[in-house]
Amino acid sequence: MLSDRDSTADLAPIPSLLMIAAVHHHLIRTENRMKVGLIVEAGDVREVHHVATLIGYGASAINPYLAMETCENLVRSGMITGISPEQAVKNVIKALGKGVLKIMSKMGISTVSSYAAAQAFEAVGLSHEFIDTYFTGTSTRLGGVGIDVVATENAERHLSAYHAAGASSAHERLQTGGEYQWRREGPPHLFNPETVFRLQHATRTRRYDIFREYTKMVDDQAENLMTLRGLFTLRTGTRPVVPIDEVESVESIVKRFSTGAMSYGSISKEAHETLAIAMNRLGGKSNTGEGGEDVDRLLDPERRSAVKQVASGRFGVTSMYLTHATDIQLKMAQGAKPGEGGQLAASKVYPWVARTRHSTPGVGLISPPPHHDIYSIEDLKQLIFDVKRANPTARVHVKLVSQSGIGAVAAGVTKALADVVLVSGHDGGTGASPLNSLKHAGTPWEIGLAETQQTLMLNGMRDRVVVQVDGQMKTGRDVIVAALLGGEEFGFATAPLVVSGCILMRVCHLDTCPVGVATQNPELRARFSGKAEYVVNFFEFLAQEVREYLSELGFHSLEEAIGHNELLGVDRAVEHWKASGLDLEPVLVGPEFDDDEPRRNRVPQDHELEKHFDNQLIAATADVVEHGGTIALSLPIRNTERAVGTMLGHEVTVRKGEHGLPAGSIDITLTGSAGQSLGAFMPAGITLRLVGDSNDYVGKGLSGGTIVVRPPADATFAAEDNVIAGNVIGYGATQGSMFIRGIVGERFLVRNSGASAVVEGVGDHALEYMTGGLAVILGPTGRNLGAGMSGGTAYVRGLERENVNDDSLATGELLLQPLGSADVEILRDLLEQHHRETGSTVAEGLLADVEAAAAEFVKVLPRDYAAVLETRKTAADEGLDPDGDEVWTRIMEVTGG
Amino acid sequence: MADPKGFLKVQKRELPKRRPVSVRLMDWKEVYEQQESGELRRQAGRCMDCGVAFCHHGCPLGNLIPEWNDLMWRGEGRQASERLHATNNFPEFTGRLCPAPCEASCVLGINQPPVTIKQVEVSIIDQAFANGWVTPHPPERLTGKTVAVVGSGPAGLAAAQQLTRAGHTVAVYERDDRIGGLLRYGIPDFKMEKKQIEQRLAQMQAEGTRFRAGVEIGKDIAWDDLRARYDAVIVATGATVPRDLPIPGRDLSGVHFAMEYLVEQNRVGAGDKIADQITAEGKHVVVLGGGDTGADCIGTAHRQGALSVTNLAIGQQPPAERPEHQPWPMQPTLFEVSSAHEEGGERVYLASTVEFLSNEVGEVRAIRVAETEFVDGRRVPKSGTEREIPADLVLLALGFTGPEREALEAQLKVPFDERSQIERDAQYETSQPGVFVTGDAGRGQSLIVWAIAEGRATASAVDKYLEGSTSLPFPVRPTDRSISV
Repeated sequence: MLSDRDSTADLAPIPSLLMIAAVHHHLIRTENRMKVGLIVEAGDVREVHHVATLIGYGASAINPYLAMETCENLVRSGMITGISPEQAVKNVIKALGKGVLKIMSKMGISTVSSYAAAQAFEAVGLSHEFIDTYFTGTSTRLGGVGIDVVATENAERHLSAYHAAGASSAHERLQTGGEYQWRREGPPHLFNPETVFRLQHATRTRRYDIFREYTKMVDDQAENLMTLRGLFTLRTGTRPVVPIDEVESVESIVKRFSTGAMSYGSISKEAHETLAIAMNRLGGKSNTGEGGEDVDRLLDPERRSAVKQVASGRFGVTSMYLTHATDIQLKMAQGAKPGEGGQLAASKVYPWVARTRHSTPGVGLISPPPHHDIYSIEDLKQLIFDVKRANPTARVHVKLVSQSGIGAVAAGVTKALADVVLVSGHDGGTGASPLNSLKHAGTPWEIGLAETQQTLMLNGMRDRVVVQVDGQMKTGRDVIVAALLGGEEFGFATAPLVVSGCILMRVCHLDTCPVGVATQNPELRARFSGKAEYVVNFFEFLAQEVREYLSELGFHSLEEAIGHNELLGVDRAVEHWKASGLDLEPVLVGPEFDDDEPRRNRVPQDHELEKHFDNQLIAATADVVEHGGTIALSLPIRNTERAVGTMLGHEVTVRKGEHGLPAGSIDITLTGSAGQSLGAFMPAGITLRLVGDSNDYVGKGLSGGTIVVRPPADATFAAEDNVIAGNVIGYGATQGSMFIRGIVGERFLVRNSGASAVVEGVGDHALEYMTGGLAVILGPTGRNLGAGMSGGTAYVRGLERENVNDDSLATGELLLQPLGSADVEILRDLLEQHHRETGSTVAEGLLADVEAAAAEFVKVLPRDYAAVLETRKTAADEGLDPDGDEVWTRIMEVTGG
Repeated sequence: MADPKGFLKVQKRELPKRRPVSVRLMDWKEVYEQQESGELRRQAGRCMDCGVAFCHHGCPLGNLIPEWNDLMWRGEGRQASERLHATNNFPEFTGRLCPAPCEASCVLGINQPPVTIKQVEVSIIDQAFANGWVTPHPPERLTGKTVAVVGSGPAGLAAAQQLTRAGHTVAVYERDDRIGGLLRYGIPDFKMEKKQIEQRLAQMQAEGTRFRAGVEIGKDIAWDDLRARYDAVIVATGATVPRDLPIPGRDLSGVHFAMEYLVEQNRVGAGDKIADQITAEGKHVVVLGGGDTGADCIGTAHRQGALSVTNLAIGQQPPAERPEHQPWPMQPTLFEVSSAHEEGGERVYLASTVEFLSNEVGEVRAIRVAETEFVDGRRVPKSGTEREIPADLVLLALGFTGPEREALEAQLKVPFDERSQIERDAQYETSQPGVFVTGDAGRGQSLIVWAIAEGRATASAVDKYLEGSTSLPFPVRPTDRSISV
């Protein structure tokens, strides 16, 4: 047991992590580690990250005694009320445990024994010698401080507890900190009162001189070890200066700028549209974030967001949404919270937000951490393929987070035909991001960008892809450093929000943003004071500053500067006492390349769109799409044909808009085995009839179309006992119907928000995160049905209780009910359709006596969803506006949101 | 922050009432009534506990405002007092006298009236004194080092308290007969009663700070002698040279600097007998200068029984709302109705005094003023607009130009800068090793809150000078200024 309980005025405690790692590695070296378990009892353990690292370096058990005692004291002294001290301590332990569990899940680790001593960490700023001695095997690419600095800091901490020379410690209780909320004596933050004020004032009054004061402050602070880029010098004088008049114009440079992915929902309509309007004026790009986009904005050249994000929740991702994208961004991870999904609290899902997201007002939304259709790079390639068919003219971005190994991932993504790779740095994130992720996950973009550039060049594929970078970029210098490291486009999120009035309250998750930025509360939204002009000013100033740097560095354009990392120096005497051991060479120096080796994008990716199956469909249906009428086609299909119907769907959406064609306009029968993503994102008016079987992702993002899958008429097997289609059917569907005669794989209808589907049996995890729509399952289900299901309805035949997600049942979130008379009618109707479309004998049997058959079914219904629907219906009956304030208050009451 | 929606539930400021004018003019007691505690807590609950607490930056002391707002909201007065004293030695002074740059920079102020921070502050400390929570904090051991602090205004007292608590032996020298500097003799009782100083001095004495009133350094003891006697010397003598108005008639009897006038009244308030006290009783009074000192003169004159009080300011009447060129979170110049203004008198703007007019016995009888005109950005009297205003007593409240320099220059050889402040480095040290300058003597006339902040920072610098290292806080650098563009 390693303990610091006996520390005194004369004996300072060794930091617990250093203590455990030192002992752990010593025991390994002496070949004794297997003989003992290590337990840590330490006063400095209080956050999830502390517990995670202790376990990660070998602790079998941890006693955070001071955190527990502090908590107990807070209750006993009345600072925390409504709980017993014992329970409060239990809660702390539970929270720390859950936090570690979450970290493990983000890392893809299932059991603590696999996590223990796994050292799943990367060190930033620790010397190689120090790491080799105490944290053997941990990656520390930049070098940094050693045991001496750790000791000095430790001594300083100790001194603040035990004053020297008997000075009075009047009024010096624990320091107030400032890690998360800026305080003068706490750690420095790049955004502090002086920089926020100057940025806002400069952009509001269009004062470039004040903007330069702002950037100087930020850049100077960056030199104080706040960012890696602050440590670089720009090697002016290496190339002859270019007169500023000959440098690329502001108007041209701003086209490389974009705003970050922040959803409508997380931020207000006003804030979201302000950014969009500004970027559209500039010719830059704003980003929808993961919340979809209202149709009126989709079609408005002034207010649309050029970049449409597709994230794991797939909120509002329809054919219409994708078709009207300039760029489509696949969010694989967020720099600020890698490995995590998102969530929108119930209290922020106002009716107008729900509409855009195709969900229910007042019911919280979860964006799961993974894309359920991506488990490998091949799957990602498939998604790129799919969305490229959903909009062949859009560039497809893949957003990655800066971390060790990003180079290999970026190369894989490039091979998977992404048009743009986005390297997202660790230091972004809003007040809604989990604190543990904000502070402890990801690495600076400088490292990830350099690695990406080097790997892409080494593999000879740098010219095929555009590299974009984001993560707390604030100044022209940041842009220049990023460009020299290989970045071609640059994303900004916090800074333009600050320009729009954000004062970093860090309450984005509470819906109490006092400046109307990160809130949906109408009263607070009215306080929004941002204007597109201010944002335009910001980006123009930024571009102007970039021009000045380009001139000094000797470049005519930003494009010329890309990848010229030889102009970044590390020769500045790094004066900070903690910086002496830092070695930035790994960021700057990679393999040697020839001068003519491409350092930036030069050629487009070859997506082989002309070879797509749909080309023949598009040609054959052109007349019907253009002039109406109906057409029926019949073609053979092979499983190498993927995303069939998607590009046709795009054509329909381009011409007909949101509502597609009248039902039955295009009727296509395919015979054979279909490849992945059959009918993905297909809009209304198209029916795909597959006679045969299909691979994964049938009806992914279905947007109104109809998909029928049935075995050949001459099949000799019983359809209802055999698998006919693969995994993740109907993922993120928003509208339309599917009739599938046979059993399908895992994760059926994940995140469905509006489509209805009939199927004869499903694998594990069906109906996960579903928020709307209807599922009829006529046969057996796998386990864990309905995990995170917050909307929609399912009728499941013979549902076994133990196959339903435990948590949802335990919390009462999922209701299992017998079918009511209205349900029976719906069931009858769907069974009839299913029978008609697929010839299902199961449906036929059930239809013989629907009333009796209905008794075999269980209705699966999320509680809050049901309550909200009921509340809205009652209100509508009373003549109230279901979207009005009064009803909203009632909804918040029934959901406890 | 206990209530994230507090600012939405309570949208208005609530401040304690001032006693009725007719009543308060009859005494010299403070004008404010006690605030009801529920009201105060409600106001404290409006604090949003901002991610970037601009108030905490707006306050030169770095007061931990969100922390103690929350504690007061929870009713944890004693802890609030602890947090308040962690950054502010004398909240009873700032809570009464500070113009509250914290409130000007309160984030709520962007679109709603700001939190009543100053009122919360003064309530914390009043409650703390009333409950006996303000106790001495003597050092546990003495360092054996000695420090002389010259000047007993807020900067000197703050430095002295910090250094005493750090274990140094500190003597505070004051040329006046009582300790307190401007607090003692510059501030009228109706703004802050002197018991506030007494109870704080009692604490300091109990902690071991020594006070030497009635000793003028430079005269009774030479500066260089003092330097030789102590391990370090802190010059906290203030910016006491008043700005004069050298126009015809300046020598007339009845024309006085505001400080001459205010000091005498404060002495009388303390029970001293003053022969030929300058008084406003039965007189037409004209106060030149539209600042806080001017207001102090107005309030004093009314209490003395002036026939009329006219306040002249050379500038324009400030706007009632924040002007565009002073955006949040800057402290704007606003038209304010202080308690003294409320008590009567006329305020005249754009008034340029041209001459003091004499009666037959060499006393001032009137002043001649003209409207101000801006020519090339300078304010000059506009010809043809001159008029007379009757005046038996004229008080010049035109600010201060800097410290008195002769003795310092002659005896200590410390250089002064072009703004006639004593030169000092980033550690508040003059070119003479071990001699430090703090407060208005180094900064020029400023706010009490800056004085305390400088005193605290200087104490830290001195402690480091004496001991090689320090754990005392260093809230402001000599070059720091309030947030502005």
